[in-house]
Amino acid sequence: MFARRTVARVVAQPSLLAAPSNARNMATLREIELRLKSVRNIEKITKSMKMIASTKLSKAQRAMQAGKLYGAANAEVFETAKEGAAGSQKLFIVVSSDKGLCGGIHSSVTKATRRAFGNTPDSPIAGASVEPNSSVMVIGDKSKAQLSRVLPNNFKLTFNQIGRDVPTFADAASVADLVVKSGVEYDSVVIIYNKFVSAISYEAAAIEIKGEKALKESEGFKKYEMEDDFTKDLAEFSLANALFAALTESHACEISARRNAMDNASKNAGDMIGSLTMQYNRGRQAAITNELVDIITGASAL
Amino acid sequence: MASLRLVNSAARRASSLIHVARRGYAEASDKIQLSMALPHESIFRSTDVVQVNVCAATGDMGILANHVPSVEPLRPGVVEVIESAGGSKKWFISGGFATVHPDNKLTINAVEAAPLEDFSVESIRTNLQEALRVASGNGSEEDKLEARIEAEVYESLQHALGSK
Repeated sequence: MFARRTVARVVAQPSLLAAPSNARNMATLREIELRLKSVRNIEKITKSMKMIASTKLSKAQRAMQAGKLYGAANAEVFETAKEGAAGSQKLFIVVSSDKGLCGGIHSSVTKATRRAFGNTPDSPIAGASVEPNSSVMVIGDKSKAQLSRVLPNNFKLTFNQIGRDVPTFADAASVADLVVKSGVEYDSVVIIYNKFVSAISYEAAAIEIKGEKALKESEGFKKYEMEDDFTKDLAEFSLANALFAALTESHACEISARRNAMDNASKNAGDMIGSLTMQYNRGRQAAITNELVDIITGASAL
Repeated sequence: MASLRLVNSAARRASSLIHVARRGYAEASDKIQLSMALPHESIFRSTDVVQVNVCAATGDMGILANHVPSVEPLRPGVVEVIESAGGSKKWFISGGFATVHPDNKLTINAVEAAPLEDFSVESIRTNLQEALRVASGNGSEEDKLEARIEAEVYESLQHALGSK
């Protein structure tokens, strides 16, 4: 059944193709013209998307700068509390966003998560072993779609509508609140996000934030004096802070990647317009020449 | 007599030793490295300061160099930073955490902060009244609790401005 259909199509195709290329030059010219028009429209769209991304970029980068320092101040405790056995129960929070057309931003974090689950040497949390049944939470629809194919049974929570504009602390706090309320057990939270390397490059990275219990058991954390027990408050506040830092940095990466992707798309559209215009003009000229030849031959035959 | 002299010289040596040690301690680090960060702005970035007064949940405290490592949750109140002898700056923060690290570093993470002189007394008063009205009104328990927290912040803000 299938075979017959394909054969029929193969047979039918040459005749379809042959017809316009023979003598109907005007028809192909018309086709090229239409194509040219649509490519021009696409170029307009990509160009304006690039402009929008460019204007958003400086704002996003400023937010990232502040967010990064905020995250660094927050991570200091965990740097000290690194010593001692870390619990093996990890909760992964993957930070991406809902919108596409920005290069490999989303697949970068997805791949990093897969590497972490595969315990490969280039995993973002090198050295730590990840259990295959670790929980995963995803911020953003794009990575959710990608990861739901690979780790469908590990999903606990997913978030969307975050990262449309520059993320605020309220966004991060509400995510952290839901994570805490979800009742998922964890010793540490691993946030996988895109790290801003330069305006044209980014790489997936991970921040690890210990939970209350793991923090209490850690040797390094015992160096700190506390009048009452604030470990729970600290763990929850730190989670929100780390999420905020990751969200702002990922957002800046996304905007800059979108700017680059749209820049490339506009360039490609420009190239395409050039070659199509050339083809169109050549065809037009050929058609005119043909008509002239027809007229002249007709005149000389008289 | 001889033994007395020995004790005497030992005492002298000890005193000179103590003297040297104290001076060394004072010169090496009488400043603490402060990083104070807000989500949208960083006020101090590993800056050397003399003293930081914070309002911890357990009571107000001053932090000098070589403070013992500790974690202090902050309640809404004033953070005073003394950068050098004489000059001090005050911020009102909405709460957060101050952590003193073993390597003579102090990090303060606050959700929101503003210089004390930027606040307007009138708007604090009207907002406080509004918050108190909601707190004693008949909204949901959650709204009331939020309003009560809000009122507390305004009250401590008023207190901070009054004592300036």
